Amino acid sequence: MKAPVKVTVNKKAYSVEVDTRMILADMLRDELRLTGTHIGCGTGSCGACTVMLNGRTVKSCCILAADADGQEITTIEGLSTGAQHLHPIQEAFVENQGLQCGYCTPGMVLSTLQLLTQNPSPSEDEIRHGIAGNLCRCTGYQFIVKSIQEAAKSLQGKPAAPVANRG
Amino acid sequence: MKYVGRSVPGMTNRVLVSGQGTFTADINLPGMCAIKILRSPYAHARIVAVDTSKAEAEAGVVTVLTGAEIASNTNTMALSADPAFYGGKGVKCYALPSKYVRYVGEPVAAIVAEDRYTAERARELVEITYEELPAITDPVEAMKPGSPVVEASWPDNVMMHKEFVCGDVERALQNAEGRVSGTAKAQRYAASPIEPRAYAANYDPYQDLLTVWSATQNPHPLRVLIAETLGVPENNIKVVQPHVGGGFGLKVPPFPEEIIVAYLARKLERPVKYVEERTEHFLAAGHAREEILQFEAGYTRDGRVTALSVKIIADVGAPTALVGWAMSYVSAYSVPAAYKIPNCRVELFTMVTNKCPWNGYRAFGKEAASFLMDRVMDRIADATGLDRVEVRLRNFVQPEEFPYSQVSGAMLDSGDYPRALRRVADLIDVEAFRKEQAEARRQGRYLGLGYGFELTPEGCSLPNSTLLSGYDGATVRVAPSGQVTILTGVTSPGSGNETGIAQIVADRLGVSLDDIKVIQGDTERCPYGLGNYSSRSLMIGGSAARIAADQIREKMFKVAAKALEVSAEDLAAEDNRIFLKGAPTRGIAFKDVASLVYRHSYGKEALDVEPGLEATRYYRIENVYHQPEVQGRFSAYPTWPYAACAAVVEVDPETGLVKVLRFAAVHDAGPIINPLMADANLHGGIVQGLGGALYENMVYDEAGQLKTATFMDYTLPTAAEAPPMILDHQETPSPFTLLGAKGVGESGVTGPLGAIPAAVEDALPHLKLALMETPLTPDRVWRAMQAAQATS
Amino acid sequence: MISQEFEFHAPKQLSEALNLLQRYGDDAKVLAGGMSLVPLMTLGLLQPKIVVSFNHIRELDYVNEDKNMLRIGAMTRHSTIKTHQLIARHCPLLAEAASYVGDVQVRHRGTIGGSVAHADPAADYPPVMLVVGAQVKLQSAKGERVVKMTAFLKGLMQTDLQPGELLTEIQIPKLPEGSGSSYQRLHRVEGNFAIVNAAAVIEKGFKSARLGLGGVGETAILVDIGKRLTKGVNDEALRGVSDDAYAASHDAYGDLNGDAEYRKAMARVYAQRVVKAAASKIG
Repeated sequence: MKAPVKVTVNKKAYSVEVDTRMILADMLRDELRLTGTHIGCGTGSCGACTVMLNGRTVKSCCILAADADGQEITTIEGLSTGAQHLHPIQEAFVENQGLQCGYCTPGMVLSTLQLLTQNPSPSEDEIRHGIAGNLCRCTGYQFIVKSIQEAAKSLQGKPAAPVANRG
Repeated sequence: MKYVGRSVPGMTNRVLVSGQGTFTADINLPGMCAIKILRSPYAHARIVAVDTSKAEAEAGVVTVLTGAEIASNTNTMALSADPAFYGGKGVKCYALPSKYVRYVGEPVAAIVAEDRYTAERARELVEITYEELPAITDPVEAMKPGSPVVEASWPDNVMMHKEFVCGDVERALQNAEGRVSGTAKAQRYAASPIEPRAYAANYDPYQDLLTVWSATQNPHPLRVLIAETLGVPENNIKVVQPHVGGGFGLKVPPFPEEIIVAYLARKLERPVKYVEERTEHFLAAGHAREEILQFEAGYTRDGRVTALSVKIIADVGAPTALVGWAMSYVSAYSVPAAYKIPNCRVELFTMVTNKCPWNGYRAFGKEAASFLMDRVMDRIADATGLDRVEVRLRNFVQPEEFPYSQVSGAMLDSGDYPRALRRVADLIDVEAFRKEQAEARRQGRYLGLGYGFELTPEGCSLPNSTLLSGYDGATVRVAPSGQVTILTGVTSPGSGNETGIAQIVADRLGVSLDDIKVIQGDTERCPYGLGNYSSRSLMIGGSAARIAADQIREKMFKVAAKALEVSAEDLAAEDNRIFLKGAPTRGIAFKDVASLVYRHSYGKEALDVEPGLEATRYYRIENVYHQPEVQGRFSAYPTWPYAACAAVVEVDPETGLVKVLRFAAVHDAGPIINPLMADANLHGGIVQGLGGALYENMVYDEAGQLKTATFMDYTLPTAAEAPPMILDHQETPSPFTLLGAKGVGESGVTGPLGAIPAAVEDALPHLKLALMETPLTPDRVWRAMQAAQATS
Repeated sequence: MISQEFEFHAPKQLSEALNLLQRYGDDAKVLAGGMSLVPLMTLGLLQPKIVVSFNHIRELDYVNEDKNMLRIGAMTRHSTIKTHQLIARHCPLLAEAASYVGDVQVRHRGTIGGSVAHADPAADYPPVMLVVGAQVKLQSAKGERVVKMTAFLKGLMQTDLQPGELLTEIQIPKLPEGSGSSYQRLHRVEGNFAIVNAAAVIEKGFKSARLGLGGVGETAILVDIGKRLTKGVNDEALRGVSDDAYAASHDAYGDLNGDAEYRKAMARVYAQRVVKAAASKIG
């Protein structure tokens, strides 16, 4: 069965028709061709599918695409416009090797954005608990924590702007 | 600017952090069909009947592939390494079975449809009648005479029985002043990269070209294995490795799903894609490490081990074309790890069961040997009253004893184990810790410190293997404008070797890193290579790239020498210039030399050299011996990195919950090309090790049904469990290899397995615990505590 | 991925939603946060023919108070419960429980109503709701009723919800002034379900004391420990609490995280811990 879905993703309006069985992660990836959101487990454990829904991070594998009708979504693609035009959080991850294979990274970056938006100067403990919903198998989290600390510094304690309208 | 030895962030970071990587599941082609796999619900059964008619009748279904068609149209799966060659038993099995299923989750049919919803729905309509057979799920039971067999063509369940012996173990045990015995147990693991497996393929009937995209670590070997299995010439197959979301040794070929996807693309002449779900991954992508290690050790009063007898029973799951079984061999091969034991016997039983087959997982069996030795050393320390560091120091292979021939014939290259262990004790600050521990005890808190010492040989090379050999190739190419491209036979599933290889070449050619592009993972563009595993990519792939770069450098120096009217041996290259060593202002831009070669081929500078600036070279790593009859030894691993680890934990004595407070490691992998990448890999390895020590366990019930098929049950450490880690390095080069580098990729994974149980024991010394089994989940620690309190 | 086809409805009004539930009865599943339902559908363990999403019904997302009670709409997300001022003031225990549910992302989407209706035996809210004497409001197209939490939990993943009924509000009596409370749990890794959990509320002056336990029975369990604490929280009292917890856990199940014996032992441990902690917070 089909359902109509109108969403705004990274400030761009989309109107698609989806199978009711489709989860939001698949809609973003297959219908909208935004493949930066990854699927690691499909059951809400690993966080690779993390996106922002109306400004709050959620696991898009646990949301039916049809249920996202009328909502605003930010995906990883909304944070940069080119390899040299990355969001400060992404720059911090690059410089501090907060990633290796990159599969968990989009979700991790969005969780970082959420954390620093709500808590611009988090302690290490707050960082670790803030990203506990994002599993990483490559990094052991150490450089991720460091990247987030550096990102917090580079944002200088100001709340991180969710998405720059980079046109 | 020189790059080797510098901490350079990964070259792929910008693409990946933006979400702009292309992983196999991201590949979409017009007209692409979706594949769903129907998997066996039984651990052991005979396939009685297969009826696909209802499924095929569904609108949108393109075809349903079963074992019958596969058997008529393909060969049995080509193996990465055949156990039969190493004195064991191999199997011939097709990508889909027609007669028997031997583990829950084994692929039985493939449903292809226009979209994946239709494929999934149609999968439910495939009717397979099974006759259930007894499931063998216990490797010890599987050894008993009269046990039902897993593999119908074998007389028993023993895939391999091997023994490594030196000295006279029986006599030495009898004469020993002290003896300790016991059983260590390692659980079943799933490597669990965050990206599940995914494969896509397309076939062009006009070019007669099959293109396969695979989340694989080894595109060239995969191409060979597909060619052999499908009976298609290699020229007509191209394998591409897109970005891979973590491999850890798991994503090595050949998987039946890879063959199925390749076959279907050719048959349908349409693009196809298979993306597995995480539950399928847990069921079928490959498990690892489930071993029982029984030991008896004899020692002198001052703690020197004079005798060691080990029996390893490995449960490798059902026998297939996958290479994971070899990890059991490696476990036996690696005993007694970093220690010198004059009388030693290791007996290996590689047992098959009706469980998921093993495939590679980081440390590839070496972890078992070091884990065992850590626990043996600690037991001896307890028995003799020796300090746990001291007992190891007394038994280590000493620095002056390298190269050292171990019990199995393995040739340990170089190292300074005592220094590393002493250094890690400093790093974790054992003296300060003892004060902290005492103070905590006064507050009713239980802190403990434990050591683990891992010896992790790298560069695995076995005879007669399509996958596992110690050579690789690289092409270095300089463009007319002076830009450099490196094409490697090795690949990177995220570990960053492309950056290290670029650093090596940058230094040899004297160019800046920004002018280098690295291309990996394409069988049509890259020279033949074996891909990534056993930490070989930088040390073997990087060596090949260095040799190729040197060939280019030699040619460019000849041309530059002519241009500058000097002798080539007086030249050096750095910062995009080739210049006179003694008078650096006299030089010529690197790109100008390239231009001379390409644009003035007949000019005075370039006429003496062959045109072009491209070199493809191969490197075969030394310290590997495959001809024992001629060379007197068999040694499969060229390099021997090691790490001394220390963990501080807090144990909740009421619940058994263990929290790792901090972790230190002193690591030696020879010269480090990129310290940032090395540390990054170590962090990941250590946390995987902690996962094994405390959190991860793949559990089957007696009927062979998997109980842990989601991340809720197979729990990986999150950032909240991962401790802060302090690392230090020492660099003892290998005297045998070009770079002296030994490979970092599997380090860190093993040390925690010994350090954590030791730390828990140290936290509760009054209980005299002997924790010989992982994972140390709270209920297990609690139970051990209850048992100890009952007997005290 | 989800394989069974289903009809999807996203009503904007509660009345519309209730009519849908009435019409479809057992064929319909309520989709709240989806953090339980969607994975169950993905795994093929639940295959509803009709899914009614409540995520577009604003009227169920609220935290209000009247004189004696907090009223929390069923669609209130865990993240709201974790930080809401009214809850922090009148029932901090509930906020503590909410802070343990899943992780940041799960808490942004998951709802208290969804969680309570799901009735997992080790879920975080039920022991808390039992000790505070919570009630749930159940509505259908035909009317509404209020049920005490003790009567609402019926068995393993089973509640008193009848076909066509929906849990719309959670009613939390405000804790008496000066009460001490605590919620604690044992888990293997962050974000996972609790192995065993416990909640305690002790009234000032030890006038009453109640203990809630999870992970030791088909449902969370309420234990009145008032008589154990008549002389305050001393060693004898704690031993008594521990024995009560152990006795209440007689039906504890075993699974990969711990067998029955372990769970019962943990019930003893956590009962004492929350009672001690609650006593220390008496104002």
